[in-house]
This record gives sequence, structure tokens and C-alpha cells, in this order.
Amino acid sequence: MSPALKKTLATLTMALLSVFSLLPFYMMTIMGTYRNEELFANIVLVPGSYLLENLKTVAASRFDLVYLNSLIVSLSSTALSVFVSASAGFAFAKHEFRHKNKIFSFVLLTMMIPGQLGLVAYVIEMRYLHLSGTLVPLILPWVANAFGVYWMTQFIRSSVPTEVLESAKIDGCSDIGLFFRMVIPFIYPAITTLSLLVFLWSWNNYLLPLIIINKPELYTIPLGITSLGDAYRTDLAAQILGLTLGTLPVLVLFAVGSKSFIRGLTAGSVKG
Amino acid sequence: MNAANKRWVPFAFLSPYLLLYLAFGLFPIVFSFYVSLTSWDGIGGKTFVGWDNYKFLFNPDSHFFQSVGNTLLFVALTLPVQIVLGLVIATLLYSRWVKWRGLFQLIHFLPYIVTPVAVGLMFNLLFDWQTGVVNKVLLKLGLVDEGIYWLGEPLYARMVIVLMLIWKGFGYTMVFYLAGLANVPKDLHEAAQVDGASGLRSFFSITLPLLKPVTVFIVITGIIGGFQLLEEPMLLLTGSGMGSSVAVIGGPDRCCLTTVWNMYDTAYGSTTRYGLGAAIAYGLCVIIAAFSFVGARFYRGDSE
Repeated sequence: MSPALKKTLATLTMALLSVFSLLPFYMMTIMGTYRNEELFANIVLVPGSYLLENLKTVAASRFDLVYLNSLIVSLSSTALSVFVSASAGFAFAKHEFRHKNKIFSFVLLTMMIPGQLGLVAYVIEMRYLHLSGTLVPLILPWVANAFGVYWMTQFIRSSVPTEVLESAKIDGCSDIGLFFRMVIPFIYPAITTLSLLVFLWSWNNYLLPLIIINKPELYTIPLGITSLGDAYRTDLAAQILGLTLGTLPVLVLFAVGSKSFIRGLTAGSVKG
Repeated sequence: MNAANKRWVPFAFLSPYLLLYLAFGLFPIVFSFYVSLTSWDGIGGKTFVGWDNYKFLFNPDSHFFQSVGNTLLFVALTLPVQIVLGLVIATLLYSRWVKWRGLFQLIHFLPYIVTPVAVGLMFNLLFDWQTGVVNKVLLKLGLVDEGIYWLGEPLYARMVIVLMLIWKGFGYTMVFYLAGLANVPKDLHEAAQVDGASGLRSFFSITLPLLKPVTVFIVITGIIGGFQLLEEPMLLLTGSGMGSSVAVIGGPDRCCLTTVWNMYDTAYGSTTRYGLGAAIAYGLCVIIAAFSFVGARFYRGDSE
């Protein structure tokens, strides 16, 4: 086979597979631009003309509030998780203390535990602390994030030079100052990656809000899109448009940060 | 570092994580174990019942082993396809025969990051008996006389779930193989080429063995992740009022009831048996631990 033919064949194969990957997204987007009755009647393949009307229906269901809740949960989870993880990572990477290795092994062990293990008691705990009527229960699990600690420890160990920290200390820099002014600037790439991962995990989380959140005012996106059916049971087209709108932010976020994201995901699996 | 005079400093940096984990991570896990030894509906008093909940897991009425079996079936049917598909695509993308490599990588990975709830609902729409595109296309082509009840027949429902999970997951394996391929030394292939080995030959005798750690990693995380399967089948089969789907726990004959779905339904769905729900969670954890243990053995034996 000539190289040119190989190239064409390989690219063509990829293009065909891309159709397989994209078709469900495409169908979903297209179906949201039609009038409800048209969806039942025929197969729709090109965009329809009913998008604006469907948008109005979705807007009427206070979908903006659902977006806002999800943003609050995901942004708080991300910020707190990054701070707590970086702080613990600094302790593990650049300090010596008793039982350090044992505590670090324990953190690694907790990484393996499936999140559902403590779920039943966590829900009771939140109810007991009178937090079940708030968004706080959806944020806390991400803040104490073992993966984040592991990730930050590895990164700080390899990319923050100890000599810089020591000379800053001799110049009279406090420990808190060391962390904020010396460590943080060195680890921006690690912060970006961890932020993307935590944002995505908390954004997509479904089981916990499903159990804990019982007021529609506190619904996050996954709950919001499942309840679209209750809001206007007869208007399938509007429901589908809501589904499209709910998945959009993640797609945009990923398109922007895909490199960083994949780096975080594959870290640790491949030696090197 | 010179911190001997201030021994509390590292603990100050460590304490936010440790305290939060103890309060909201470890404490619920320990307390859940206690709950699993009781009979409790969350409102009345707790009754200590010892190991009764765990014994009940062996009773078919708990659907525990049925749900574990379903989950394992889904993993067994999807993981091999995801691995082969991911490996082939990664190899093609890495070969530089393909134009727009970054774009294709992005496209194939999209299904993996989309909200799992949305994935379930999307496939619910596509395979709906009345409004679904799949049935409409089949009817139009004259392949069937009337729409197939995809989500109402156990065999068909399982087929749709397998297809959905493959669609969602092969981009994930692709990404790991791409990372693995980047670590395969180039000179090995050059040497093989000089010795006259064909491209296919050097793929099977050099690349594939070197990718074995990646494959083992994907298998272990695939099994662990597969055991936590919930949203996709749940929303596919209950659809929450979308279209004209059937709202049955676990799909027709509970053929698609996964372990976590079973736990949710026991504690927060059809019944509010917190104790049994917690016992299911611990049972699941034991099974995952067993798989991880065997997998880790494999992994270690491999690198030696």
C-alpha cells in the first residue's frame, strides 16, 4: 500500500468512528429544534425552526436556577479541594514528621475505597447536622479528596525546589508565606488539572444529590435534567433541549482543557 | 527542612485534610458498618440484628447476587470490546497516518465526560419504542413490521446497555493507550524494521507486550468502575417521564439491576431499609477488594 492510500484509509476509518461517537449528540441537538408533534411523525436529520420556542419553554422552568446551583457546588468543591489538597501535599512533600509514611499510605488506601461505602451514614450525618436543606453535603466529599492529596504531593515533590524554600526561610519568610508565595506559583499546572477533574466529578455527580436534595430550588444539573420530564411531561422537544443545555458546559470545559484533563487522568497509570 | 523547632507546622498544613476526612469520610464509613448490623428505617429506633443483613444478602429476595451478576455481565461484555477498540484507535492515531489527530481524540473522548445521567436519557430517547430514531429507521427500511420494544425485553435492554457502555467507554481506554504508546521506545521499532519485521509483526511482538501494564491497569479500573455503574442503566430504563418508557426497578425482570442501583433502591427507593442498604455497600466493597487484590497480584507479577 502506498503511504498516501494508507493515510486516506486511516483518516476515513477515524471519520466513520467519529460518526458513531457523535451521532447521539447530534440527534439530541437536532431533536431540540423541532416542534413536539414533528418528533413523533418523522425522522429528523437537519435542524428545525422551533429552537426559540423550545428555549422559552425551558427558561420558564427556572433552569437558570439549576445552573446556578451546579456552579456554586462545582466552584466551591474545586476551590476548597485544591486548597486542602495542596496544603496536605506541601506537608507530605516538603516536611518531615512522625508516622509520615504511614499516614501517606493510609491516604493512598482511602483512594481505593468506593464512594458508596459510607453513603448511608453520611446522609444521616448531614441530616443530624441540619445540613440536608443546603448545598453543603454536595461539596464536602470532594474537599477531603485523597486523589487530590496524592496528586499534589507528587507534583510538589518533583517541581518545587527545596533550596528555594530554604533560602526564603532564611530571609525570614513565615511558613504560611512559604506556602502561598513559594509553593503555589510553582504548581499552577497541577492546580489546573486537579481543578478540571474535581469540577467535572462534582458537576456530573448524581447519586448523592438524588438522595439528599429534596427541594427543587436546590437541584443541580443532573437532577434538573431528570426532572425536566415532570415539569412538562407532554413536551418532549423541550425536555430534549434541556438535556442538550445541561451537557453543554462540560463539553465546552473539556474542549478548552482536554490536554490538562487527560494528563491528570493518565497520571500514575503509565510509568515515567 | 529545618523544622525541628516547630513540630506542629506540618500538622497544621495536614490538618484541614485529615480533620475533614475523619469527619466526613472515615466516620460515615465506620458508622455505616454499625448501621449495617441493625434494622432501621431512619425514623424509628435502631434494632441490633447482628449479621442478619449480611445473611439476607444470600437470600434471592435481596437481589444482591443477581445484581452483582448483572454488573459482572456488563463488564465482561463491554470491557474486551472497549480494550480492542481503544487500542486500535490509539494505534491508528499514534501512527501519524491520520490527519487531525487532536480533533479525533477529542471526539472519541467526549462520550466519557458527558454527565452519565444525560447518557442514559440520550439512549432512552434513541431506543424509545414510539419516538426513538432506531425504530423509525428500522421501520422505514422495512426491516421490521412494527417497532421493537427495546427497553421492555430483557435481552434487548441488555443489548442497548452494552452498546451504550461501549460507546461511552472506548475513548477512555484510547486515552490510556495513547499515553502508553508515547512511552514505547522508538528505536525498538527501528531495530525491528532493520531486521525486516513487518509493521504488524512489530506491533504484536514489541508494542503489545510493552503495553501490558496499561492493559492490566485498564482491566482493574474497568472492573472497579464497572461495579459502581448506576446512572446510565437507571436513566435508560426509568427515563424519568421522558418518552414512553417503562418505569421498572432494574428494567424488565430486574435483568439490568446493578449493585449500586440495588443499594439505592433498598435504602432510598422501594424500601427504606438503611441497615440492608449499608450491608449491600459493604458486600460490594468486599467484592471490589477481592478483584483489586487479584488484580494487584497480576500487576506486580507482571512488572517483575
